[in-house]
Amino acid sequence: MTYFKLSLRNARRQARDYLVYFSTIVMVAALLYAFNGLIFSQELQSLALQMRTLPMMIVMVSVVVIAIISWLVSYTINFMLTRRSREFGIYVLIGLENTQVARLFFLENMAVGGCALGLGILLGNLFYQMLRAIVLTLFGAPYTFSFVFSLRAVGLTLLCFALIYLFAQLKSRKRIRFMKIHELIYFDRQNEKAVIRTGKRRRKVFTLSLVLGVLGTLMLMTGYLPFGIAGATCIIIFLYAFFLSFASGVPAYFDKRQEKKYRGQNLLVFRTLTSKLATMGVVMATIALLFTATLVSEGFGLILQGLFYGRARENSCFDIMIGISDLRQDQGDYIEYLHDNVSVEAERQYQVYQGDNAQVRDYLLKNTTYYAYHQYDILMAYSDYAALREMLGYSEVTLEQGQYLIHCRTYLEDLFNEYTQSISVGGQSLGAKSVHSEPLGQYGWEVNGSDYILVVPDALAEQCPVSHLLYVALTGEPISEEQYTELNYIRKVRSQYHDYDNIIVGAQEEREAASWTAMTVFPLYYLALVLTMTAATILTIQLLSESGRYRRQFGLLQKLGMDSREMAGALRRQFAVYYAMPAIPPLLIGIPVLWDLTLMPEPGILTGISHPAVIMGIAVGLYLLVYAIYVLLAYTSLKRSVLPE
Amino acid sequence: MLEVKNIEKYYGSRNNVTKALDRVSFQVADGEFIAIMGASGSGKTTLLNCISTIDTVSAGDILLDGESIADLSSRELARFRREKLGFVFQDFNLLDTLTIEENIGLALSLNHVDPRAVQEKVRNVAQKLNISDILDKFPYQISGGQKQRAACARAMVAGQSLLLADEPTGALDSKASKNLLEIMTQMNEEMGATILMVTHDAYSASYARRVLFLKDGRLFNELLRGERGRGVFYHEILDVLALLGGDISDVL
Repeated sequence: MTYFKLSLRNARRQARDYLVYFSTIVMVAALLYAFNGLIFSQELQSLALQMRTLPMMIVMVSVVVIAIISWLVSYTINFMLTRRSREFGIYVLIGLENTQVARLFFLENMAVGGCALGLGILLGNLFYQMLRAIVLTLFGAPYTFSFVFSLRAVGLTLLCFALIYLFAQLKSRKRIRFMKIHELIYFDRQNEKAVIRTGKRRRKVFTLSLVLGVLGTLMLMTGYLPFGIAGATCIIIFLYAFFLSFASGVPAYFDKRQEKKYRGQNLLVFRTLTSKLATMGVVMATIALLFTATLVSEGFGLILQGLFYGRARENSCFDIMIGISDLRQDQGDYIEYLHDNVSVEAERQYQVYQGDNAQVRDYLLKNTTYYAYHQYDILMAYSDYAALREMLGYSEVTLEQGQYLIHCRTYLEDLFNEYTQSISVGGQSLGAKSVHSEPLGQYGWEVNGSDYILVVPDALAEQCPVSHLLYVALTGEPISEEQYTELNYIRKVRSQYHDYDNIIVGAQEEREAASWTAMTVFPLYYLALVLTMTAATILTIQLLSESGRYRRQFGLLQKLGMDSREMAGALRRQFAVYYAMPAIPPLLIGIPVLWDLTLMPEPGILTGISHPAVIMGIAVGLYLLVYAIYVLLAYTSLKRSVLPE
Repeated sequence: MLEVKNIEKYYGSRNNVTKALDRVSFQVADGEFIAIMGASGSGKTTLLNCISTIDTVSAGDILLDGESIADLSSRELARFRREKLGFVFQDFNLLDTLTIEENIGLALSLNHVDPRAVQEKVRNVAQKLNISDILDKFPYQISGGQKQRAACARAMVAGQSLLLADEPTGALDSKASKNLLEIMTQMNEEMGATILMVTHDAYSASYARRVLFLKDGRLFNELLRGERGRGVFYHEILDVLALLGGDISDVL
């Protein structure tokens, strides 16, 4: 039998024994290929100008992914080396040279990597179509299936894989070359020693780690970059110190409490955990770290998406809206351009006014988180308001003399429904009539108010000083990106002499939201997925590789008279503790940090499916879902292989 | 206390049947120390597995304390094993992850003994078997002889009535073997343990009070030590082994 045949046979066995690892590598190849496909897709990049920076973002994330996967592959290969040291020892014993064994192992891993790459590229085509469909939907472009096989994407994926394996192989090659037969054959099954021996030191480290964990989380929540970096450092130290001191503390805890140790299956569960004290401490901490990053990436992605769409939604009700604060000017240049180039179906040019005081604004400042853009309440004449409502197809609203009504963004509606005070305009008192909250372009500077506007009778409004000028229009077709660029050019020319004008183009807002989503949210999810898969794979490999030990344990327990239900229970508990340990700290850190992040955008942006609570739910749900898939896979295969018939 | 009645055990398919046990019958009285001898493949381990309920018989009956083990459900069998049987295996079968104290205590915890009483019971047994000083060590940290004594402690700590030993000295050097056999004798004589030991080593068998010989699945002979010294008994065993034929190389 040639080396090559032996390698292939070993590769087949490796793929079977380490099925979870193999599947993860296939998935990673598929994801790499799909995102590489995005890099080379002219079709998607022509959707918007900003999409041209998409390749940059993907390459940046790919670098991180390659680093993480290199670590996974290197970890797994090393792990296999340790597990199979007896087998390698036998190769050396029957006369193979170390370099030959290294070559044998190299070929084996190349075969596994090659297969994974091949399968991954096939699956990746499917993923690519999914990504393409999502991006096209984001931009409202029609999706038609077209099979794309990008040679360049294959090339780049190949390069990524070559980097991943090169890094991993270098390490293992060196290790095999310097291994001695004796070391290989007599690999000991010793329990690892506690890293931190004395109870006093352990308690100190444990307490310190908890303090650092809380401190780090709080620092991350400040949202201030230097604190953020310090906070992340604290969290990393916390996780390692926590798991190492915790694992070392468990045996001591049970040694002092004999009655707890021998109750039920406690003995088996805790001893399984502590048998790999040192490595498990490090592995658990690393995994918890990966999970924390996953959770934060997922949540951050959702927040960004909510932010982009929330902002776009507020102001995209008009196809174009132009606000001018310099009262000596008007929108003439813009209107002229629009009339020449776009089919304007409805338009209105009007002014909004400064109220006598800031009574309503102060009410908001007192009762909610509100960003005040102006020092006064902004008023709108009823006739303008009625015309805008008609333009947008909203129901008619009446206003009597002596009354005012409030139009606000949805997040303020409840608060205003409780507001019944009268206001004073030009010395006349007006009573509250009603509150409305349809989209009306109220977000930002020089728009229809600032998150709210007070609508008053025309005669009163006209007595007040003007706040700013506005022009809104609905067009036959959306304003294109080129037209938007030209409008911007007009603004640029004007701004040499006047204040900067505020131009909001509905279609552009949506395009930007879609571009930003594609550029930031996709890569974040991509990263999150890779992180969870890596972490879950390592946990699963660790656990499944122990199945021989578990099998012996349960075989013996059966002889000693443990009944099958108790055995299943013990396995379940060992399993649950094992998988829950690294999953809990990320939740404790991730949830407050994410919650704090959801409070960063301006109020009223994250609503509906982007409501902070929904975002938290989805982020935690997604994280637990991917994890649960691995947990389930591992549990079923472990149960089948270790419990006696 | 143990009664084996005409048991048979077949392996294989219809066309190719191997008879591992062929109408084997014997009785073990309370407090006896019995060795079962035979060459490799004579059915010793199969017999032990059947008695220990790990394997089932094809025909015949095994009664322990008057109770037929064939009538028990798998849950009752499990209970039966943990309450009545103690095991000592050739390869020790201690859990690597547990300390010696915990390995012994495991048998008690399986029997749902009050957790507070575990430590004391373990220490009592350990003292009798002279392993008190290694209780907080892990199996890989102690010698084979110590492991086997720990296994003996586990086999009797929960008050099991029958100790089943499968080649207990198989992995031990002669000094450790002698030590273990003396301990087993002590367990038998001073603590009243009933011991059934399977071995192919005549020296080990000479410590028993009675030796049964198996050949090709059948009971071939029986030797009683009576009042004779162990040395004399040893030579008698060797004589029987010579009669068994062809297996003397296994013996010496």
